[in-house]
Amino acid sequence: MASPSNGRDPLEMVRGLPAGSEVEIRTSDGRSYRGTFLPSHELSGPRIVRLKLPSGYNIGVRVGPGDAIAILSRNGNGSGPGAAPPARSEPPQGSDGRPWVALLTTGGTIASRVDYRTGGVRPAKDEAEILSFYPNLEREGPVRVIPVLDRLSEEIAPADWTTIADRVAKTFTEGARGVVVAHGTDTLAYTAAALSFALRDLPGPVVLVGAQRSPDRPSSDGASNLQAATHVARTADLGEVVVLMHEGLSDTSFALHRGTRVRKMHSSRRDAFRTRNGPPLGRLKDQQLTLSADARPSAPGPLRLDPRLDPEASLLWFHPGLGPARAEQYVGGLRGVILAGTGLGHVSSLHLPWIRTAVARGVFVGMTTQCLEGSVDPFVYATGRELLRAGVTYLGDMLPETAYVKLLFGLGRYASASELRGFMLTDVAGEIAYRHPLEPPR
Amino acid sequence: MKAGLEVHQQLDTGKLFCRCPSELSETVLGEVTRQLRPTGGEDRAIDPAVAFEAERGRVFRYEATTSDCLVEADEEPPHELNPRALATALTVAALLHARPLDEIEVMRKIVIDGSNTSGFQRTALIAVDGRLDVGGRRYSIPAICLEEDAARKAGEGEGETRYRLDRLGIPLIEIATGPEITGGAEAREVAEEIGALLRSTRRVRRGIGTIREDLNISVPGGTRIEIKGVQELRLIQRYVETEEERQTHLLAVREELARRGAGRPDGAPEEVTHLLEGVATGPLRGLRERGAVAYALRLPGFGGLLKGARPEGERLGRELADHARTAGVRGLLHSDELPAHGLDEERVARLREHLRAGPLDAWVLVTAGRRPTAIAALERVRERAAAATLGVPPETRDPLPDGRSRYSRPLPGRDRMYPETDVPPIRTSEEELERIRGSLPEPPSAERARLAARYDLHAEVVRRLQQLDEVDRLEAMIGRGHPAATVARLLAQDLDAASEGLPTPHHLPTDEELEAILAALDRGLFAKEALPGLLRRLMEEGPPVEKVLTGAGLTPLSRGELEILADELVERNASLIAEKGERARSPLMGDLMREVRGRRDGKEVAEVLERALKRRLAAAGPGG
Ligand SMILES: [Zn+2]
Repeated sequence: MASPSNGRDPLEMVRGLPAGSEVEIRTSDGRSYRGTFLPSHELSGPRIVRLKLPSGYNIGVRVGPGDAIAILSRNGNGSGPGAAPPARSEPPQGSDGRPWVALLTTGGTIASRVDYRTGGVRPAKDEAEILSFYPNLEREGPVRVIPVLDRLSEEIAPADWTTIADRVAKTFTEGARGVVVAHGTDTLAYTAAALSFALRDLPGPVVLVGAQRSPDRPSSDGASNLQAATHVARTADLGEVVVLMHEGLSDTSFALHRGTRVRKMHSSRRDAFRTRNGPPLGRLKDQQLTLSADARPSAPGPLRLDPRLDPEASLLWFHPGLGPARAEQYVGGLRGVILAGTGLGHVSSLHLPWIRTAVARGVFVGMTTQCLEGSVDPFVYATGRELLRAGVTYLGDMLPETAYVKLLFGLGRYASASELRGFMLTDVAGEIAYRHPLEPPR
Repeated sequence: MKAGLEVHQQLDTGKLFCRCPSELSETVLGEVTRQLRPTGGEDRAIDPAVAFEAERGRVFRYEATTSDCLVEADEEPPHELNPRALATALTVAALLHARPLDEIEVMRKIVIDGSNTSGFQRTALIAVDGRLDVGGRRYSIPAICLEEDAARKAGEGEGETRYRLDRLGIPLIEIATGPEITGGAEAREVAEEIGALLRSTRRVRRGIGTIREDLNISVPGGTRIEIKGVQELRLIQRYVETEEERQTHLLAVREELARRGAGRPDGAPEEVTHLLEGVATGPLRGLRERGAVAYALRLPGFGGLLKGARPEGERLGRELADHARTAGVRGLLHSDELPAHGLDEERVARLREHLRAGPLDAWVLVTAGRRPTAIAALERVRERAAAATLGVPPETRDPLPDGRSRYSRPLPGRDRMYPETDVPPIRTSEEELERIRGSLPEPPSAERARLAARYDLHAEVVRRLQQLDEVDRLEAMIGRGHPAATVARLLAQDLDAASEGLPTPHHLPTDEELEAILAALDRGLFAKEALPGLLRRLMEEGPPVEKVLTGAGLTPLSRGELEILADELVERNASLIAEKGERARSPLMGDLMREVRGRRDGKEVAEVLERALKRRLAAAGPGG
C-alpha cells in the first residue's frame, strides 16, 4: 500500500497506468474503493480517478494529496476495458461470379463505435471491424467493403467529394452492380449533391446511407439502413445518386431521396432526411421497392466522371442586421456566392452596391431561399427586381446547399460567366423542379 | 439460507432524462416498430443473458403516449440527469448513512428484451456503504442507484412484443441490501422499512407497481437465484420460503442423482407421434389431425426424481417444463406423472419400451406444430437435466401470483454495462450535500417515536401504519376529531382484516366513507368489535354508508326523530335563515349531516331539512 506520508502526490501512482489494472483508493476520511482503473473521461473533474467496480458501474473518486492509491495488479497486455477489439472476420474479396455490391466507407456514425477511453465516438478501424458491426450484411450476396476515408461528416471537404467520386467510378469499372456509400449524416446531403454532379450516366445505383444512432447501440438504425441500401444497390434499376434512410421512426420502411433534393431536417430523428419541394424518389417497405416515374433507370454506360471543382465559393445566409460591409468583406476574393435570401429571394437593398460591383468583377451571385421549401421569384417585389437588375441569378427551387455544391462544379468547369450562368440555370441532376404539384391539403 | 433485496421505487419528480411527466398514460398517439441487435460492451464480449434474448429475434412495437417524447422513442439524445431525482436519491443515501460518490457516471446496462427502446437501461451508482437497522438487526446497503424504468409490456404475439412507452424513463431509486436476510418474514420486514423510508422523502410515486423488489436467494450448497419484479410486498415472505424449499429439494435431487451415477442425458430426441394414435382425451388427443408431432427424451437415472417431495411442493419436472417452454412448446409430460392426461397404463408401458427406459430412468414428452420446435424444446430439457446433476443452476426467475416463481432466463453477468457517452459525468458538490443533509425528512424510526408519543400508540402499530403507507391518513383523521386509538386500529388492522379473502376488485372505502363509519362509532351506534364486519359489508356492497349501517340494523334514529332534529336546527338558526333565505340551506345541511351521519340516508336528510326550511320561510312570510 502506497503511503501518503512519502510526500508524493498519489495521482503520480496512476499516471501512465495501463487501463485494466486493478487499484485500490483509500481516502484520508476512511473510504476505500477497489476496482479496475479506467482512463480519464474528457469531461471529468480535476483530480478524479475513474474506476470500474466489480458490479460493472464506473465511478469517479476525487483523490486528494492526503489520500492513497495502491496498484494491486498492473495490466500488462493493455486488453482491459477500452482496448481495441480483436478482428473478427476476413473481408470478403472473391465474388465468385455472383453480382456484388461495394460498400465504400468514409467514416461517420454508421462506421463508428464508442471510444470508451474518451466517451466519444471514433471511426471504425478497418473492414473487419465494420463487418463485425453488421454481421448480416452479406445475407443477399457478396459485399466488398472498401475504406475510402476516415472522417466524421463535419470534417468532409470538397476535395473529399472528388476522392469519393473517383472511387465510385472505379468501383463500377471493376464490375460492381451498385455502390453504397456509408457517410456521416451531418453533411451527407452535400456529398450526395456533389456525387450527383460529378457522376453521369450511372450504370447502377449509388446509395448514400448513414445512421443517426451509432452501431454500438442495440437500437442503431445503421444496420437496417445499410441492409436496405445494399438491397437497393443490388436490385434496383436506377442510375442515380440517392440517399436512403428511415422513412419514419420504425425500422420497417425506408425512403429514397434524390441526391440533389434532400436535406437533413432534424438533428436526431431516424427519419431526419426529407426530399424538399416534392415527394421522395422511392420507398422500400418489406423488401418491396417502389420508384417514382421520373426516377432515372440505369444507363447502358459508359459512366462519365467529371470531378473538377473549384472551392472558391461560399454560401451566405442573409439575416436582419447583416451589414453590406461585412458581406462584401466575406465575399471578397471568392469567385462565386450563393445567397440564402428571405422569402422569395431577397436581401436588404443596402446590399445592392456591393452585389453590382462583385457581378461586374465576374463573381457569380446566385439567389436561393432560406425558407425550408419553395422557389425564389424576383418579379413579385421591387427588391427582387432590383437584385435581378444588379446581376443576381435566381435559382428557382434549388436548395441553397445544392446550389453551393453545383456552383463549385460550375466554377471547376467553366471559365466564362455566361457559360457558368447557363450551367447553373439548367437542370443537370434533378436539382431544379419547374412544377410543384399540389399536395393533398392537410 | 441467505437473501438480499433490491428495492426499486419510482419517483414522481418527472422523468430521468427528459422533461416528460413521471405518469402513466392511457392515450396512445401512435406506434413505432423496431428490432434490436446484440452489441458488445467495452471489450465487445456479448453477455450470455443478452445472447439469449437476441436469439429470439423479436419485433418490438412501441405505443407512443402523451407521457413520452423523442427521448423515450430513442429519437433524441438523453437530456441532463434530472436534478430533482438526483437530489431525492442523495436524500435517500443520507437517510441510509451511505457515502455519495465524488463523480457519478451514467452507465448503459444492455437489456434487449425490448423493454428499453435504446436496447439499454441507463443507470448510475449514486452512493455506497450504507446501512439500515430493522428490528434490532443491522443490514448493509452496499449500493444505491438511480436508473430509468423500462417500458411496460402491453402484449405479446407471435414473434413480437408490444410495449407502452409511458413508464420508460420514470426515475427509479434502487436500493440493494447485503445478503444478510435469513428468512422470509425478515425479508418482508426489511422491504417494508425501506419502502417507508423512501416514502418519507415525499417524492415517490404511490400505488401498485410503483415499488418493485428483486429477491436474491441462496441456501447453503445452492446458487444465487434472482426473483425479479415482485410487486406485492406481502408475498415476499412466500417467495423466499418457496425458493428455499425449491433449492433444498434440488440439492436433494442432486445427491440422489450422484448416488445413482446419473450424468448428462445423452440420447437423441425420438419421435413418438405414431405411439400416440387414438389417444381419446387430454393434451395428446388428435395429434395427427392437428398436424402436430410428439417427441420424447429419455433421462437415464432420473426415474422418480421429477416429482416433488410433496404433491404441491417444488419439483424438477416443473423446472424442465419451464425450460421447454422457452423453446415455444406449451409444456411437457414426464414419466413420473403418468399414467394420466389421457395416457393409460398400457400406452405408457409402450412408450417406456420404445424409449428403452429402465426402472430408474425417466422420460419426458413434448408436442409441437413443427419438428424443430419439439427438438429444440427437448434440447433445453437436456441442458436443464444436466444442470440438475450439478445442483441449482443460477438463473433469473419470474414471480407468480401464487407465491411460486418460474424460470425466465439465465442470470446476467457483469459484461452488460458500459458508459452512457451521451451524458457527461456528474460531480456531487459539497454545498448540495450539505443542503440535503440539513433538510432531511424525518426518518421512519423518528416518525414512529413521535407518533407513538403524541397519540399514545404502540410503536408496532405505528410501524404497521408506516408499512401500509397510512400515516398521512392517520394524522388527517385524528386532526378531524376522531379518537387516535380507533383510527389507528381501523387503518392498521380492521381494513386488512375486513378485506381478507374478498374477491378483487371490491369497493375500496374512501376517506369520507371511513369517517362516516367512525362518526357512527364515536356516537356509540355500535361497538368497535363490529367495525371489521361493517367495513367488509361496505367493501362487498359499496356505498352509501347509510345503507350499510341500515343493513346491519344500526338505525336507532327514526324518521320522526330526524324531523324533530331538523326543526330544532331551523329554530336555532332563525336569524341566519331570515338573513339568507334559501341560501341558508347548505350550511344547515352540513350541520345536520354531522349530527346524523351514518344513521339516516343523506338524501332523506336533505329532504327532511328542505321541508323544515320551507315551513320556516313560509311562516316568516314574504320579505320577513
Ligand atoms: Zn420524454
